[in-house]
Amino acid sequence: MEGLSQALLNGLVLGLIYVAIAVGLTIIFGTLRLVNFAHGAFYAIGAYAGLIVAQHVGLVWGFVAAPIAVAIFAVLLDRLVLRFFYSKEPTSQLLLTFGIAVVVQETLRLVFGGTTQQFPVPPQLATSFALGAIQYPAYRLVFAAGVLVMITVVWLFLDRTDYGLIVRAGIRDRIMVQLLGGNIERASTVVFALGAAIAGLVGAAASPIYSVDPNTGFEFLVPSFVVVVVGGLGSFWGAVLGGLLIGELQSVTTVVYAPAANVIIYLCMALVLVLRPQGLLGESEVIRQ
Amino acid sequence: MSAADVGAVSLARRRRSVLAVHDLRFVALTVLGLAAFPFVLHALGGYSGLATQILLTGIAAIGFNLLLGYAGMLSYGQAMFYGGGGYVAGIVATRFAGGHPNLWLAVLAAVVTTALLAFCVGLLVTRLYGIYFALLTLAFAQMVFFVVEQARDWTNGDDGMQNVPTVGMPFFGSTIDLNTGLPALDLGPFGNLSDVKLWYVFAALVTLLVLWFTRVLVRSQFGEVLGAIRENEERSTFVGFSPRLYRLAAFVIAGALGGLSGALRALFDATVPIDSVGIDRSGSFVIFTIVGGVQTIFGPLVGTGVIMYLQNVISGKTDAWRLIEGLIFVLVIVFLPSGIVGTLLKRRRTRKQLLDTVKATP
Repeated sequence: MEGLSQALLNGLVLGLIYVAIAVGLTIIFGTLRLVNFAHGAFYAIGAYAGLIVAQHVGLVWGFVAAPIAVAIFAVLLDRLVLRFFYSKEPTSQLLLTFGIAVVVQETLRLVFGGTTQQFPVPPQLATSFALGAIQYPAYRLVFAAGVLVMITVVWLFLDRTDYGLIVRAGIRDRIMVQLLGGNIERASTVVFALGAAIAGLVGAAASPIYSVDPNTGFEFLVPSFVVVVVGGLGSFWGAVLGGLLIGELQSVTTVVYAPAANVIIYLCMALVLVLRPQGLLGESEVIRQ
Repeated sequence: MSAADVGAVSLARRRRSVLAVHDLRFVALTVLGLAAFPFVLHALGGYSGLATQILLTGIAAIGFNLLLGYAGMLSYGQAMFYGGGGYVAGIVATRFAGGHPNLWLAVLAAVVTTALLAFCVGLLVTRLYGIYFALLTLAFAQMVFFVVEQARDWTNGDDGMQNVPTVGMPFFGSTIDLNTGLPALDLGPFGNLSDVKLWYVFAALVTLLVLWFTRVLVRSQFGEVLGAIRENEERSTFVGFSPRLYRLAAFVIAGALGGLSGALRALFDATVPIDSVGIDRSGSFVIFTIVGGVQTIFGPLVGTGVIMYLQNVISGKTDAWRLIEGLIFVLVIVFLPSGIVGTLLKRRRTRKQLLDTVKATP
């Protein structure tokens, strides 16, 4: 029983990482119609940027610097390279972002070496917290709460602000938004930077829990794709639901039958595809693009 | 027979003979290229065996290109067939050979298994398109990777299969040892004829067959329909074709070619690394094909050759090889989207058109 509650809590933490990455992927897809293979790279850049600043300036500043650094990188990438690929077919965008992901990963490997690095847990949070019968690391609980707050803020931004209105309208019909005078171009850049910043912040914040190496980006990216597919590409709440579902599934399976833990999420995805190809909360017109 | 009929017949005959000349030229040039390749590579400083590895790996890239180039399906999962074929061949050669590993048996088992795997995965993934298709192939490839990694009793897990036994190739009653070299003959800077093992000759023959098969396939009605589906699926459905069936067939053929390639690589190298079924391997087939030239017959093979040769030369000198590979890939996508072969073909075509216009002007 204790093992199971422990697994459920671990699943929540893992699931929230997936949620944060998948939300970024999904809003970027919704607005730019771009599946961003480089999103895992944003996570990794955030983790390393956070690590450096934490080592040289201070731990808390690491968490501040990571999302800013990644957002700047994303805006540069968008303006200097990706922009020219907006009008091309989706597969060539996929190829380009894949190439960028490889370049970032290998640059990180050259600069920081291939070894695993651990981000220190803030000393104030290096204790554990009693939750009923089990002791759970305080940092993980704070992390989970933090991601939940972040998701809420992003949702409020999309749902309540004028910018969010343009973004949501753009998900429905880009051309119509432009006809009505909405600046979808700028909104796209903002969304791209926002999605990247989320990935960067989570990359830094998750590194005390899951250590970081240059491959980490891809390791989190692929399950996040599964999350997006299960939840429904372009759907905000789909990403949230899918992330929690996949995180819990993976974590609980680790306890029940460990060798199957990495396989089961793909089986789950296959099942969703057969029964509901557009994803749990997705809209059916998206899948044919 | 009316005059018009006679005209039609002679036109058809002429077209057939033109086709035959084209075919002959294709075979002759390919044979010439394949024959010269290991010696050129030697002169450029490639190690012995690299030529064989390039050809064998290129076969999987050719299969990948069948999907991306001709059917418009971007698969990030070619490694599940390449690596899967390698593991099946390795397991058959190690366990089911009774001391006499047979190349045909191992390869056949690998190709059949990977074709079946491609059929099962294809049933699911060909329902979807574009980016969705890409993400799904990636996910299924990851699933296969984790299954292989966990099935340690069979696959030796993370360490991969080492010491796959040397296979014999039974051929009309006798057994050929593919590690035999050709007769000794000094070729100066191009090395010695005996550096080339029978393995290379075999790999070249298989490559020739695969190239021929691809050429016939993409020029057949099947290839035409694939192209129609790629360009406009809705219209091809209205004309009366079933796109899903064609897409599934293309996926199975690509998977089987991946299996063939992986199986032969495993038997040639006598090892099956875990990387062969991993995500980076899937990515490398994407890179090979794009660099060489998508939607061309020779592009994937040329791309495989160029990248593997550069890897051989550069990775000994610096750690940054994979970064350089990524940069080459990005630069090709941005500045040379038709790849090496595609760009050369285009240039030739424009020149020809120019010449024709010049000739046509009185």
